[in-house]
Amino acid sequence: MMDWLSTHAPAMLAGGLRNLAAYLAAHVLLCLLPAFFIAGAMSALIPKESVTRFLGRNAPGVVSYPAAAAAGSLLAVCSCTIVPLFAGIYKKGAGIGPAITFLFFAPAANILALVYTGGVIGVDLALARFVLSLAFGIGIGLIMALLFRADDAEHDRATDDVFSAQAGAGMRRPALLFLLIWIALLLAGTLKLGLLTGTYAQFTVPWAGADAWQAALDRLVPYNAHNGEEGVSAQGVLLIVLLAAIGLAAWRGLENIHDGVTRWTRACLALIAATLLLAALAIEATPAGLRIGLTGKFFGIAVGLGALHFLARQRLSGDEVRDWLWESWRFVKQIFPLLVAGVFVVGMIRIVIQPEWIEAVAGTNSIVGNLAGVAFGVFMYFPTLVEVPIAQMFLDLGMHRGPLLAYLMADPELSLQSVLIIAAIIGRTKTFTYVGFVALFSAVAGYSYGAWIDGTPLVVLLLSLAAFVALLAALLTFASRRSAALHGV
Amino acid sequence: MLTIKVLGPGCANCRKLEEIARAAAASAGVTAEVVKVTDMQQIVGYGVLKTPGLVIDEKLVCSGRIPSAENVAEWIAAAQGR
Repeated sequence: MMDWLSTHAPAMLAGGLRNLAAYLAAHVLLCLLPAFFIAGAMSALIPKESVTRFLGRNAPGVVSYPAAAAAGSLLAVCSCTIVPLFAGIYKKGAGIGPAITFLFFAPAANILALVYTGGVIGVDLALARFVLSLAFGIGIGLIMALLFRADDAEHDRATDDVFSAQAGAGMRRPALLFLLIWIALLLAGTLKLGLLTGTYAQFTVPWAGADAWQAALDRLVPYNAHNGEEGVSAQGVLLIVLLAAIGLAAWRGLENIHDGVTRWTRACLALIAATLLLAALAIEATPAGLRIGLTGKFFGIAVGLGALHFLARQRLSGDEVRDWLWESWRFVKQIFPLLVAGVFVVGMIRIVIQPEWIEAVAGTNSIVGNLAGVAFGVFMYFPTLVEVPIAQMFLDLGMHRGPLLAYLMADPELSLQSVLIIAAIIGRTKTFTYVGFVALFSAVAGYSYGAWIDGTPLVVLLLSLAAFVALLAALLTFASRRSAALHGV
Repeated sequence: MLTIKVLGPGCANCRKLEEIARAAAASAGVTAEVVKVTDMQQIVGYGVLKTPGLVIDEKLVCSGRIPSAENVAEWIAAAQGR
């Protein structure tokens, strides 16, 4: 064991560092930085009443299930909202069905998870994660409501004052615009459209050693398409330095934002704007120096930042801006360090895992492969978002996209921590039923998505999915009739 | 004597709010007992759907965001006037 460690440790350490450098330089900025600000804006600026008023006891299912899903994606960006909203919907509102839909949908469809999945692994997988989570979230909710009808009836005697907010509590227009511009900025930075990635003007910054420098960087952080190592550019190094500066300024300027806006706050925001703009440039090292191209992205982001600046200064109240900055910073503080550690560890592990192992288990879209994906998701617990770099590692090592989706669905839904919280609120029986259904549905989701990737026509898939749901519903109805008969009802 | 309750499972926001509430009570010269409520059943019982929540003398004054120190001072003054 010691021998094994001493031969592998240096390579693993180097692998971890390389992975981290590549991530910070390539992926984080244009997708995660705006995503954190969007999550902050959602948390601070969307009044929860705008959604929760559809979650009262008297709301019909056609309204309450979609509203629960909307609450999951719009309001539940962190456990501060997930747990209380879940408990509230279950105990005082629409009941166990919508509560489960909310709980299932929230981790799969929150803005950070979707953006990160889309940016790192691919838009197709992010979309599949969103659509299948929506369908299955509502499906599992309906099944749970059917199974535990009797318990829900008991809750009906309670009042639902919490959900009786009036329709007046909509979102303020400038706040909505602010949120939408952030989303546009995110799309401008990450979408791979010719209009955005094309270069419209070019100039060269003279720097004789640029190409030698890039060559040295390539030796240090090799580019290796075979096992998915990505390499770092000169631009990437600059961005990593800027990130560190932002971290420092944010620590001084955002941590105590409640005491007022300081020079550090302004410096931090200016640095963030500069970083986003720099990351949008196309920079290439040539023997003459750095050739800098102004891309469509660059102009898009510049316009977006200008509009955001105007809105924040002129149209949003001081309280709104403060809440928004604080919430965004809180997400960064809560998630980013764990993500950095996770990416590092993934880089280390990647060195020792043989692609053959992954290919043998989940290289094709088999039932075993999908179940293995789910099992790994259930028994491993990773902090929020770390499931994404892990999934990317599996993908690079040869995992099929079907089992990969099965894993991506199961992992955030089911961790020991969340299972314990759920059990405290709805009781053990219901929790285990829920866990079982999530495992089953994740495997089915992975299998059907994998079949679609392998070329099965959509119609066939939809028909077999419908058949699966019908079979399940029939079984459940039968089971509940049986148990009702046993109880002499 | 005032009872101030901070509702929340112990995340960063709840700690911040507790800090602000203590400071506000101290600067208003009010003796107040600050209680942390972490039990989710109780939190939902106050009608809070998003933590942190602030309860002054059993009345929920704020939830889902961190209020400013001035706001907390006003609520404390209002509670004493009752």
